[in-house]
Amino acid sequence: MKARLLKALQKSTADYAEIRVETEDSSVIAYRGREVETAGTSSVRGGIVRACTRGGWGMVTFDSLAQLGEQVKEACACAKLVGEEKTELAEVEPVDAEKPVTLEHDFRGVSLDDKLALLKAYNDIILGAAPSIESSSVGYGDSFRTVYFASTRGNYFMEQRPRVTCRFMAVARDGALVQRAYDGISSTTTYDAVLGMEDKVRETAERADALLRAPKCEGGTYSVILDPELAGVFVHEAFGHLSEADLVYENAQMRELMCLGREVGVAGLNVIDDGSLGNYTGTGAFDDEGTPTGETYLIRGGALAGHLHSLETAAKMGAKPTGNARAIGRSVPPICRMTNTYVTNGDIPVGELFAGVDRGVYACDAFGGQTALEMFTFSAGYGYRIENGQRGELLRDVTLTGNVFQTLKSIDGIGNDLVISKRGGGCGKGGQSPLPVSVGSPHLRIRDVVIGGG
Amino acid sequence: MRKPMIENSESRLRQGVERANSAGASAAKLSLGHSESTHCSFERGRLKETGSSESLSYNVEVLVDGRCGTSSGNRIEKLDEMIDRAIVLAKVGSTAHFNAYPPPGALTPVKTHSERTLGLARERMIESCGQMVEALREYDPDLFISATGSRNESEDITVTTGGVCHQASRTAWSLSSHVQRTKGTDILFAGYGRGWCDLNEFYAPSVIAGRVLVDLRNAEKTVEPPTGKVKAYIPPEQLPAFLMPFMAGINGRNVAKGDSPLAGRLGEQVLAKSITIVDHPHVDYASGACEIDSDGIPTRKQTLFENGVLRRFLYDLDTAGLAGAEPTGNSGCYPYWLLVTPGVRPSSELLADIDDGIYIKALIGYGQGNIINGDFSCNVGLGYRIHNGEITGRIKDTMIAGNLYDLFAENVELSSDLDHAGRMPHAVIEGLSVASRSA
Ligand SMILES: [Zn+2]
Repeated sequence: MKARLLKALQKSTADYAEIRVETEDSSVIAYRGREVETAGTSSVRGGIVRACTRGGWGMVTFDSLAQLGEQVKEACACAKLVGEEKTELAEVEPVDAEKPVTLEHDFRGVSLDDKLALLKAYNDIILGAAPSIESSSVGYGDSFRTVYFASTRGNYFMEQRPRVTCRFMAVARDGALVQRAYDGISSTTTYDAVLGMEDKVRETAERADALLRAPKCEGGTYSVILDPELAGVFVHEAFGHLSEADLVYENAQMRELMCLGREVGVAGLNVIDDGSLGNYTGTGAFDDEGTPTGETYLIRGGALAGHLHSLETAAKMGAKPTGNARAIGRSVPPICRMTNTYVTNGDIPVGELFAGVDRGVYACDAFGGQTALEMFTFSAGYGYRIENGQRGELLRDVTLTGNVFQTLKSIDGIGNDLVISKRGGGCGKGGQSPLPVSVGSPHLRIRDVVIGGG
Repeated sequence: MRKPMIENSESRLRQGVERANSAGASAAKLSLGHSESTHCSFERGRLKETGSSESLSYNVEVLVDGRCGTSSGNRIEKLDEMIDRAIVLAKVGSTAHFNAYPPPGALTPVKTHSERTLGLARERMIESCGQMVEALREYDPDLFISATGSRNESEDITVTTGGVCHQASRTAWSLSSHVQRTKGTDILFAGYGRGWCDLNEFYAPSVIAGRVLVDLRNAEKTVEPPTGKVKAYIPPEQLPAFLMPFMAGINGRNVAKGDSPLAGRLGEQVLAKSITIVDHPHVDYASGACEIDSDGIPTRKQTLFENGVLRRFLYDLDTAGLAGAEPTGNSGCYPYWLLVTPGVRPSSELLADIDDGIYIKALIGYGQGNIINGDFSCNVGLGYRIHNGEITGRIKDTMIAGNLYDLFAENVELSSDLDHAGRMPHAVIEGLSVASRSA
């Protein structure tokens, strides 16, 4: 493949051109209620040529590799039509690498019968957990993606990116009231990660049942403690996306809003994005422009410390590329994205965080979140009342909203119990969703958070 | 577009169906799609990128011993292998609630392919985007302006063991512009876009940019939102989002699996008497226009809610079998193209009648949580306060919540005027709960 890509790139007439070709084999099996709902498999191959001339981009996507040279020419012609300025793309160390992976327990060797038996066992646990459990959903998916990349700078890499995921949901009903609870796990290293989750599955189903009897969280302004899962999602959604340099680099006002050194939080607040961290869902050796991944401080000591860059944004902002140009698949260009994003540990034991709250809400787990830059809304999976420093009754319908900058400044306690979620999240941006990412945080205590009431 | 490619594929798909049959499948369905598109995009007010894309994909569904397996891919040379893999998967697959794909039925023809759209050159799209950008920049040179245009042509073919062999070709264009205005930590997003299969008068760059300009003008001033239970004025482009729980509720799969609060309520008054909703897949050149569903069943025009009375659940082939109902020709049990019947008074009068309320242009965080039950709670991304029948300014940090089944149960007034495509009216609902952070 290397020779083939580099040969096609010889047709380039642009300032810069690259080809990324991917193959992906995936399979999915899912239960819904008593029955298997889906059993499917997919095998695809294709790619994209990107060319840049005088700062303008041309892009051609393809499914067949038969005419790569022609596609390089066409992308270059498109770029020429666009560019009127200067091509500015940051330099990185030359890359010539192959990163095959060896899975501890390769999911491709596991029989369909075994996978099905596992799902059935989880599904039976949910359906039998309580009389109120009306329906279930248990999904297994695996994907083996291989990325080949070459550019006119002579860079080349091949990286294998396997992933196995198991997610489950319980639906409980009492009359017209329906409550759901979710959980799941994701691994890039072994099929065994999806095994042995019986207790977690049972807890999830029992929570859906308990939520039926939980009161709604009344709307209002509260002191809130976020559990690590929700805190991680909050930092990713509400803040992390603002650090993506493609939103910032050409926008003078955004550059001012996100300018490095600006105080955005308490002195103890550090937020890091690290695509090279361990084996999480957002982990990889290279981004989709061939830049090695690494650790980037987004907030250090409460002040903005970095942005997440592609080659172009790095050059235009005078920064170093951070390895955050990621594409969700073969036919889309890489854009600035997060990888594994987390809040570093503070020094307050969780018990002390709670002790500081007379009347508040402990918000746990995330159903999902959405932001429009400064504004965010997201739903906790469930919550608890906090009274006089004690965790109280279970609450449902906990939806948090607010302005991210006000909220970051309102963090008044950072726990010392960092957890990076193994669940594996899917991030959406610019129509590219779900991109594998991970989030993490210790418990966070935040003052004056608006919780919406029904 | 290389038309012959699809023609060759017909015999290839027929062979595939035979292969599945002889390998033990009692029924099989193969479909193949090919599409080509070209696009351009402007960022920060200047042309940033243009390009083209080509894609091919196929889907295989087989039934073996009453179980269903599926596979998909984009390498035609691997079609046989993928058929075999679907057959293997069917052994652990989903229980099928049908035995055979139905024979061909009478189709209602609908136009989805337009020569005029094929003639939409990349240069013209670039020019149109440039025109929108110019109009917006003239209003405010500090805006961060983006614009995109695209043109697409596709062909699809479906072959089933029921004897259906159906080809459909489609063209489509889209054109949109978006702006971001940043003042300190205050950020405003506004945007508008259109798309259609035929290159008709809907393709109007100055009108599209004009809609964004109206939002920018309305949002010049920020005002405090009203709080408590208020009236909400919902424009046509937002109405489908508010109807979402009802569409999830009539989805036959949700009904059969016990997830829909509408189960067992056919013939009951569910929504306000003012609301009639029709699914109409036969509007020429509409984005949802379609002659057959993915199982080869003819699509049909159907009234879903008539004067607020629930009339229909939507069923695809498998779900119909599960529910003991007739299939309605709706792939995935989803509607194709919703039409909401207009009301009596023009939207201008509806607006003028609101003493105190909010005008909802965009939502953030909508659709999370328990939306199928109608419960929602989210931020207003872009919205205005209406006071004494006039838009008085933009509202910020405003959260709305409620239950859509309650909000749409009575006191819903729809406008007599519809959007440009003749789909959706403006709506006014009462009793929406509004909370403000600054309150
Ligand atoms: Zn995200």
